[in-house]
Amino acid sequence: MTKWYETLTGSLEQKRQYKQAKARMDGLPAPYAAAANAVQRYLMYSGDVTDGDTTVQMIVDLADLWERAALDGTPVRAIVGDDPVEFTETFARAYDAKRWIDKERARLNKAIDDAEREEQK
Amino acid sequence: MGKQLTEMLKGTLEGIVLAILSVRSAYGYEITAWLREQGFSDIAEGTVYALLVRIEQKGFVDVEKVPSEKGPPRKVYALNAQGREQLAEFWSTWSFLAQRLEQLHDTETSQQGDNR
Repeated sequence: MTKWYETLTGSLEQKRQYKQAKARMDGLPAPYAAAANAVQRYLMYSGDVTDGDTTVQMIVDLADLWERAALDGTPVRAIVGDDPVEFTETFARAYDAKRWIDKERARLNKAIDDAEREEQK
Repeated sequence: MGKQLTEMLKGTLEGIVLAILSVRSAYGYEITAWLREQGFSDIAEGTVYALLVRIEQKGFVDVEKVPSEKGPPRKVYALNAQGREQLAEFWSTWSFLAQRLEQLHDTETSQQGDNR
């Protein structure tokens, strides 16, 4: 249930989960903390996800991945591969979330639909 | 061959992982390790992880958290009915594609033979 002030401040539960996941990543041994935070930073810049639930889920999943990697001693490169950007963007695409670009996508689709109808007249 | 293999693998990895999970449930690292054994030596664990996240989001797998000797529990993925449907579709798409490519390859090689 959403409390009235959460409509102003965003969900407190989400904030708590986000902070917890972030703390897990900061607490990783070197060099995993640096790698995890770099991936997370890129995710926040590039991922134009607009809903908080998805953002939190992404960060929690990332924390799981890096914690596991640190425990298993998996090399950083073996986690992200040759192309860390590609990895991070693929990871973000796994989540079916609302994005800023959705509005423009809908607009483009509608414009082409309209043009097609014009063509058929 | 490396770069091309990576590109082609991208389109088929979901099907491959679903096929692996149809044999038995597994966690991420097991899948990566198995793929590496099969000769996909460059595959990153993160790639498989992202894919598992995706098929979980799409509802193709059931996830069970199994406690591990150290650290957080491991997520074990098991194919469910929806995943099996998706896998069947993958195999029929794959057969279609493989057949057409094989045909093209045959035509190409026989023509090269004629030209000689």
